[in-house]
Amino acid sequence: MSSLSAAFGLGGSDIDPALRETIFARFREKTGRMTSSTSTTTPSKHAFEARVADVKAPKSDINALILDYLMMEGYPMAAAKFSKEANLQPHREDPSIRARQEIQHAIHTGDIETAITALNELDPEILDKDPQLHFSLLRLQLVELIRQCNGGDINPALEFATKKLAPRAAMNTDFLKDLEKTMALLIFPHESLQPELAALLHSDLRRKTATQVNEAVLLRQTKRREAAIRHLVKMRAWAESSARTKKKDLPDRIELGLHGDDNDRRDGTHENGLEPMITT
Amino acid sequence: MSNPFQHSSPSFNGDFSLSGLPTPINQRRTSYANIVSGTTALTRPPPAGAFSHLLNPSPDSDMQSSLYGPARRSRPDTTFTQARNGTPGEEGTPTMWPPRLGAGLPWFSHAFDLYMAKEPLLLGGTSDDGFGNQLPSISSTGFLSPSYLRGSVYLQRLEEAHKAKVVAEREGHAAKAQTGTGLVTGGNAHLPNSKLPSGSHRGVAYELIEKLPVTEDDETVSPLPSRWNKDDKDVALEVLGDGYEVKYTGRNSSDHEACAIRADHHMPSQCGVYYFEILILNRKKEDTTIGIGFSSRSVALTRPPGWEPESWGYHGDDGNSFAAQNVGKPYGPKFGPGDTVGCLLNFREGTALFTKDGNDLGIAFRDVNFKDVKGKLYPTVGLKKPGDHVLVNFGQRPFMFDIDGYMKKMISENIKSADTSKLAPSLNETEFIQQLVLQFLQHDGYVETARAFAEEIHAEKQALSLDPDDHIPGINIADDQEANNRQSIRRAILEGDIDQALEYTNKHYPTVLADNEQVYFRLRCRKFIEMIRKEAELNLLLEKRGAKQQQLRYHNVSLGLNSGHHEDDEEMFEGNGNAISNGHNNNNQSFQSENLWGDEAMMDDATTTTTEEDGSDLALGVLSKLSQEALAYGIELRTEFAADPRREVSKHLEEIFALIAYPNPLKVKEVAHLLDRAGRGVVAEELNSVILMSLGKSSRAALENLYAQTCVLLEDLRVDGGDGAFVTVQSVIDDIPKPSLV
Repeated sequence: MSSLSAAFGLGGSDIDPALRETIFARFREKTGRMTSSTSTTTPSKHAFEARVADVKAPKSDINALILDYLMMEGYPMAAAKFSKEANLQPHREDPSIRARQEIQHAIHTGDIETAITALNELDPEILDKDPQLHFSLLRLQLVELIRQCNGGDINPALEFATKKLAPRAAMNTDFLKDLEKTMALLIFPHESLQPELAALLHSDLRRKTATQVNEAVLLRQTKRREAAIRHLVKMRAWAESSARTKKKDLPDRIELGLHGDDNDRRDGTHENGLEPMITT
Repeated sequence: MSNPFQHSSPSFNGDFSLSGLPTPINQRRTSYANIVSGTTALTRPPPAGAFSHLLNPSPDSDMQSSLYGPARRSRPDTTFTQARNGTPGEEGTPTMWPPRLGAGLPWFSHAFDLYMAKEPLLLGGTSDDGFGNQLPSISSTGFLSPSYLRGSVYLQRLEEAHKAKVVAEREGHAAKAQTGTGLVTGGNAHLPNSKLPSGSHRGVAYELIEKLPVTEDDETVSPLPSRWNKDDKDVALEVLGDGYEVKYTGRNSSDHEACAIRADHHMPSQCGVYYFEILILNRKKEDTTIGIGFSSRSVALTRPPGWEPESWGYHGDDGNSFAAQNVGKPYGPKFGPGDTVGCLLNFREGTALFTKDGNDLGIAFRDVNFKDVKGKLYPTVGLKKPGDHVLVNFGQRPFMFDIDGYMKKMISENIKSADTSKLAPSLNETEFIQQLVLQFLQHDGYVETARAFAEEIHAEKQALSLDPDDHIPGINIADDQEANNRQSIRRAILEGDIDQALEYTNKHYPTVLADNEQVYFRLRCRKFIEMIRKEAELNLLLEKRGAKQQQLRYHNVSLGLNSGHHEDDEEMFEGNGNAISNGHNNNNQSFQSENLWGDEAMMDDATTTTTEEDGSDLALGVLSKLSQEALAYGIELRTEFAADPRREVSKHLEEIFALIAYPNPLKVKEVAHLLDRAGRGVVAEELNSVILMSLGKSSRAALENLYAQTCVLLEDLRVDGGDGAFVTVQSVIDDIPKPSLV
């Protein structure tokens, strides 16, 4: 029986026999008891929380959400790393991911001209087929021009508005309204703008436009507009507000545990790992 | 593997006889389909199947298969998914054969001829349960469940009531019915304990549902409209064909504006949206004057729908819509013979619309609080000309209009415009999602990814900064030793190196395995699986190289284990075998990615070096050794957990030990899934989760909480039989394209 003992030796090399004995003892001891190791429910908790704890959130689903997000919203580095670390299907880079990211980056930095050029290279038809998108980009370009000429020469901005935007605005009342609003930035000092106008100068407009462009490209390429995680987040928000409207029995706040500010954890000392965020 | 016939089965459950087609053909076809699909043939008792098709030549005919085409590939865990999302499965309760089946057929052979001519009705009406499965609208016991109401608690309650009824009926019958054969000739058969796979077709026992008390009380669950009501019609009308057809058989009388008929039950407002369709059966060129709509019982049956208070309708002779008055508004096209016209009542939005041949004609009535109309509203048609003849679809068949699509669209519009700002008040949606993702990556120990992602977010923030002098602080992903530990444990498991994982775990988290014997057990089992896997892969490799001969010899070697040569063999294996296993570990990655070249090269070396040594083949030696090791480890595993009384433990052990029985389990479809690499991920996550728990951290990241919370919230929303029924978290996941294999 030498092969058997050899195998036993082999099998035993991974764990200290004493430890195994301990495990075994506990194993027997716990036998017959339900293993509710995953449930953190305490009696004080709302029934809702207990139900949430019982719902499985399969890692395969979560991993798919993450990878989909990184690919769709343009985080190529993270996407590649994640495929590797999570041992997902061999990673094949979406050829457009970098192009999309560059376009987004250009818009984020306010360089709309570069963005439009790159966009036309990626998909020559997209702007012609989507006047709304084209207008949004040009409008943002106008905002950037106005930002640059703050207090100085407004001619470049004026010329751009009359040449590029006015003809489009004539065709669509919504465009016209947007254009008028944007032109108002030339008249009022930027320090004392109404909130509605101030919002145009905020970087959120760049982000919004970048997202709009990205989604339009994705829609044409993959028939999907947004990453699944966005859909899930919206679904979560919608479900909660619908459930509250319908007076469902819910806790006052449904904690996500994003910042470790929930009371899910048994000790409050160690955070979920987000405290290294040093954002301002 | 999916059974296209099972899922794509439409809902023509025995309403008619395929008069043109000889039954035996259908029968044979069906059994062929079942055998091909492999699943149903086993569970379905042949007498039942044969009988059901004699009586009920339904959907598996060639017409259906060609119209529906191959069903979408369903996820392998469909059943699990459905259970998780609270969708009611098809019930497998024994079936009753109502006596009326034979008698009712002639009407339907007639009706069916017309349907045959209108194939689009079939095409447009596949019902989809939202999970990619097509289900019949009527269950084997005759329970009417229109696709768009599935998942609603309203329908669930209705179904429970129905089941109770069926059980009661069956018990009554069982006393009389002959047991054993389960077949009673004469059109009334009772099949005890026969289990049909979901989606199979049996006779339909509509009578049962009709026996539910008709009530207008909201407290009890009122049934859905299922037939025309013979007792709520003008005398000039005659109800035909099992209660679905109505025909103007009276004389042309001038003192009636129209002759109306209402359905047996009202449209329950609890279902949120109600839809039905009519098909106009008049012969072509015949002049028709038909109105469709809904009315309360207080409305005179001599008026077409729409002309009276508590009555709304759309008329085919002029295309006008009428909202409780006899002056109409131009609404849609005229309709007549051969047209399918639908009526949709949206209780939630207070709107109603009509469809023609599957097309939405737009909202006809809006801002009507249909819920608060004094009388309950019944599907209604008004016929005016002798010969006017309509067939109604109350959901027993697929609709021509894509009602499911309508429901989904309605909900998804709401979701799209949902305000996410409450989830994280200080962040906008994009930032919030970034945080969610980042937190998950850190929580689960994806250190490298977290770092790369943080860099990319930082670059994005910098780009967005309006003031170039602004300093945007980077996100410092702390070099978290603890996260690194967890990641190295995960990596070991994902690479199949369970010993390594156990070692790391005991080193960094000494109590975790002792405290979580379930996970410990899983890991030990996984190790066994990995050993079998390694052997099977090597086996496959040898086979690939056409080493069939050698394999025979391998068997000889293993048979010779107990002989005196054994010790020598063992020694030799030890000597060279270690080198091999080291090489193996190094090559692990390439091995897994199906790139077997590295190993093959190694094997070549092994073969060449050993062919010179007394004719034995080292490759086979390694294989033999792997096999022995696996066996020995299996015995050890069994001994260790033999005392465990838990069912799942012994079951899992049995399952994996069965792997030994196959020469190459990777090639055996039934067990190959046990060896799947995906199983590593599952074990890795289980372990990661218990380690987090042991550290006092939440076992779930915020994103996982969000996922689970959404599931529960949607569950709650389904209680109203609306909103929640049309959205599932699973559908979001399913939207993600599956990665295509490179």
